[in-house]
Amino acid sequence: MFGFFKNKYDNPALLEEIRQTEEKWFVFLDKLELRLDQLCAAAIPELIALFDQDSDPYKRAHSRMLTGLTGQISQMQQKAIEAKEEHIIPFLYASNTVLPDLISSAGRKYHDRLYRFQMACFERHHQFEDKVNEGIAALRSAKGNSDLEVVYQRQLTEFERIKNKFSCKQCGGKLTIQKMFFIATYIQCPFCQAQNTYTPSTEIQMLFHQARSLAEQRTAHLLQKYEESRPKNPALYQQYLRSMFDEWNKITPDMLEENERFYQRLLKDHSINHY
Amino acid sequence: MSNAEKKSTQSYLERLKQQALSQENYGGEIKYDQANVQVYDCPECAAARAPGDGLTVCAYCGFKFMSVKLSDGIHIKKVNNS
Repeated sequence: MFGFFKNKYDNPALLEEIRQTEEKWFVFLDKLELRLDQLCAAAIPELIALFDQDSDPYKRAHSRMLTGLTGQISQMQQKAIEAKEEHIIPFLYASNTVLPDLISSAGRKYHDRLYRFQMACFERHHQFEDKVNEGIAALRSAKGNSDLEVVYQRQLTEFERIKNKFSCKQCGGKLTIQKMFFIATYIQCPFCQAQNTYTPSTEIQMLFHQARSLAEQRTAHLLQKYEESRPKNPALYQQYLRSMFDEWNKITPDMLEENERFYQRLLKDHSINHY
Repeated sequence: MSNAEKKSTQSYLERLKQQALSQENYGGEIKYDQANVQVYDCPECAAARAPGDGLTVCAYCGFKFMSVKLSDGIHIKKVNNS
């Protein structure tokens, strides 16, 4: 009863098998990690080079390569998960069934060993997963510099150059574009009152969508200040967000009202703690 | 890392890069247009639209330019309805 009087359970073959399985698992993950490191180390300079080489304004070739690489990495991740599900977990269950009952002391040593094995294997897998996430984050942050300020200043100069060069299509009177429009808009001819439709150049239309990124580039130092504060100071975040939106509004003043609502929402979202 | 492994990683990356570059972007090449000004004349009487009389109906012959009712947008406002 309860195994009190049973002989001690002895199974050296199982101990050996546990040791071997653990070793194999560690070697397998070491190899995968090595391949992951190699891939990331080689890919980062290539990604940066491609970003600079890509003439597409949305850098789509760069994103395609990034997607390919993250796909490769998630395959490695998948391989590790499959190996764990095929070799580690079934082995744990199978070994547990051959051991004496858990409440008897006969197989205590084996149960403890098996538990240590499980913890070691799972912990090693966690470490691998962490490495995978670090690798993906490193790849994602491997971008060339896209200085939006230069692009913006160039478009401002271009606009200054062309703003007085339009004439009314109805009467030929001189039209002046009062401010930088980012979307098509009506301009009234001061002479014949005809409604002219002014369509800005494609590059200026694109600026409208880059305005937030540009504002973020301008205020990146404030965000960094917030990120570095310990514990994180919400007042610094608000300061960053306010100046970011102020910069954004300077670029696209027409969106002031909408941006203000967005600012309030971001601020509110930031103060909600997600657990 | 052995040289052979290094080479295979490099050649894989090179292939991936070439593929990423050669694949055509959705929607084709981006067409860069210059800024321009146009006028939408009334097809019935060739008059241009005048904002004082609204933008939806021709002030001269009553031709309907658009059947929708304008609402407040960034540049176009409700008052632009004829």
